[in-house]
Amino acid sequence: MLHFAIRRLAMLVPVFLAVSLVIFMIIHLVPGDPLEHLIQVGSSPEQRAQMIARYGLDQPLIVQYGRWLAKVVTGDLGDAIVMRQPVARLIAENMPHSLALGGAALIFSTTVGIVTGVLAASFRDSLFDRAVMGFILLGSTLPSFWLALLMILMFAVQFEWFPVSGARSWDALVLPALTIGIGGTALIARVTRAAMIEIAGRDFVRVLHAKGLPFWRIQLRHVLQQAMLPVMTILGLRIGWILGGAVTVEYVFARPGLGSLLITALGQRDYPLVQGCLLMLAIAVMLGTLLGDLAQAALDPRLREAMGAR
Amino acid sequence: MKTMMTRSLLALSLAGLSLTGLAATSAQAQEATFVMTARLVGAPTYNPTKATKLNTATTLIFDRLVVQDADQSFHGQLAASWEASPDGMQWTFKLKPGVKFHNGEPFNARTIEWWVPQFKGTENAFTVEAIERVEVVDDLTVRFHMKHPDPNLLFNLATSFMCIPEPKSYTALGDKFGVTEAIGTGPYKLQQFSVGQQTVLVRNDDYAWASDLSANKGPAKFKKLTFREIAEESTAYLELKTGGADMLVNVPTDFLPRIQADKAVKLVTIPGNELVYMPINTSVEPFTDVRLREATAFAVNQKEILTSLYGGNGAVADTFLISSLKESQVDPKYKISYDPERSKKLFDAAGWKAGPDGIRVKDGKRLEVKLWTQNGTEFKRLVEIVQAQLKAVGMQADISIIDAGSINAQYRKKTEHQLAIRSYQWTNADIVDWFFAAKRAGYPNVSMFNDPEAERLNDIAMNKSKSWEERVANFTKYHEYVLSQYPFAPIYQPAQSLAYGKRITLPQVIRGTGLYGPTMLDIAPAN
Repeated sequence: MLHFAIRRLAMLVPVFLAVSLVIFMIIHLVPGDPLEHLIQVGSSPEQRAQMIARYGLDQPLIVQYGRWLAKVVTGDLGDAIVMRQPVARLIAENMPHSLALGGAALIFSTTVGIVTGVLAASFRDSLFDRAVMGFILLGSTLPSFWLALLMILMFAVQFEWFPVSGARSWDALVLPALTIGIGGTALIARVTRAAMIEIAGRDFVRVLHAKGLPFWRIQLRHVLQQAMLPVMTILGLRIGWILGGAVTVEYVFARPGLGSLLITALGQRDYPLVQGCLLMLAIAVMLGTLLGDLAQAALDPRLREAMGAR
Repeated sequence: MKTMMTRSLLALSLAGLSLTGLAATSAQAQEATFVMTARLVGAPTYNPTKATKLNTATTLIFDRLVVQDADQSFHGQLAASWEASPDGMQWTFKLKPGVKFHNGEPFNARTIEWWVPQFKGTENAFTVEAIERVEVVDDLTVRFHMKHPDPNLLFNLATSFMCIPEPKSYTALGDKFGVTEAIGTGPYKLQQFSVGQQTVLVRNDDYAWASDLSANKGPAKFKKLTFREIAEESTAYLELKTGGADMLVNVPTDFLPRIQADKAVKLVTIPGNELVYMPINTSVEPFTDVRLREATAFAVNQKEILTSLYGGNGAVADTFLISSLKESQVDPKYKISYDPERSKKLFDAAGWKAGPDGIRVKDGKRLEVKLWTQNGTEFKRLVEIVQAQLKAVGMQADISIIDAGSINAQYRKKTEHQLAIRSYQWTNADIVDWFFAAKRAGYPNVSMFNDPEAERLNDIAMNKSKSWEERVANFTKYHEYVLSQYPFAPIYQPAQSLAYGKRITLPQVIRGTGLYGPTMLDIAPAN
């Protein structure tokens, strides 16, 4: 298992380098620059040129990338140009909020998604199954921006159960977590249902039924355990996605977090900060995938052996 | 007996509850939450010297030497009085006695002597560029010796960037000043600041040196103020509606009708410091012909826009400057107000005749132009109305909506755009230099205006004025000349709108150029 984990970690290094290059180039090739937010009315074109030189923005892109990467590998993400603070400090201040929101959304979507998926698969083609799958389809297609406003109008304005926005109390976490979680619930439920149905059709399950084991015991002890493999893969991907997917939700609910920070940084073309935020999100996706793979390997020795043999 | 005891207990309980309620209400009344949206969101620091973006709370933490009123007049805040020498080469400021920073350090002439050089090498260096040196005359008198006369000095001193920080903490904290701590002489002390999220201020109980823009000369009425930053305007409005906030500091225009219809919310409008206009690229066809520019400028129906898009809130613009500036009071013949007949005659005179579909044609070429604006609901609606107005005089304008973060880079390409809808916020006539000086062609001179006579008048206005009055006269001439060349069409002057709930009261008259420290001192709990 250790050998497997080391191999998987080593595979992330070239992925990280490729991702860092893509991130750097994308933000630098988008029109606009951070100096628009620094230049004051009354300053001269010469002062602008001086600022461009001061921040090294007059250097070829590949040179700028090289300098940035050299710092990144030593753990220095640089200083934000517009925000005037170390990128690492800004990320560290915002990360706990993103993790809390992402964690709550992941717990909600995993719990509700798996339960719903199991029930839908167990009552396949029933009214319940159709209703749940219809709801799932709706949930997965609603834009999170719209869903967030709908949540606020219903639960904060109409019923006054939760605050409209912010992160000043635990109850302010509920609506944003639900907004993100609903999309994930749909995906996890669909995957769980499909996997359960597929496993339920296998010979060993028929044998268990023939032996007279109770239906729910077979479903929960044998079918669900097997069906967890694809669900684990999805969950691994969701860990990273949830941090990135919270961008619009954090914005609507005026919550601190990587998403809010990224939106502000993008609007200001604050290159080091955009790069830092995107890099963190990319690392989260990579680590999530790694965790998913490790969990799968732990559950399925065949996978472990296959990877180890390569 | 039992009944009596029960009643007594009930009465006691109710009294207790009432007292608890009163205490809670009283505590609530000591605090207020303000919401800042849109442009006020995202100030990264409360270091006024180094910041390029500051928000409303800055003028509560710090004071300035002088402050500016809505009529653009100047009033002492930390300065008791000031005097300029006849040649404009010396400015002497008498400082108010007894002023102390939040940490107990005294504010005096030595503070100013230390403070002015701090701007060197910052983006705000231009504000003190004309000051040669600072002389401490006595503990409460300071004199600026100038490199050259700068009649704009008071305006610069009144900007938020010239809020005065406490020297010792400023030096000790370095780059952390304004982020972890910010010490000034203002009516509130910084308690907590999360970039892009919220700022919590607590009252400075020693405050007793307010400017005459405030009725209240003592400490502020609220013990604690929270400024929340909510970029999403719908969310900000819902916070106010549900009582999560006491005031929306800058109401988005889109929400004005809803707020006006909401009985739980009060709306106050004050003269704005923003102007919406349509730059015309003078360097590309067909707008190299001044007749075409004039025809286009007179095709814009400002009153229709004010009524249909803004519900009459604000004012039409007929020059390049906001109405409160004296330099906006130009000879009426230079003002640009909707005149479709004049517009059509000019198009005809330039050889652009109406085609079968109403769009004008010259030498077989249709009068089709590109009309740009940045993303945002308000800009999108406005650009569509202007498009229809231009079509009414025979010009087909094709709209492009460009990301706000990218559009300036597109302008810098210089010849890609023809017409654009944009706005600026500024309360000084030097904005004419900023947007029309040839050296800044592309952006901010989106009009690509390059005219020798304009450059000559610009130089006089910017560099040759010795007194404020002379500067006003010189800028008025420069402004009039720019207007006569039609490198833009003025459209609209938005009002500043503040919406507030039942828990607070505002003063009858809001002084200053917006909702800043002096007015905030007069905001009080409703009861």
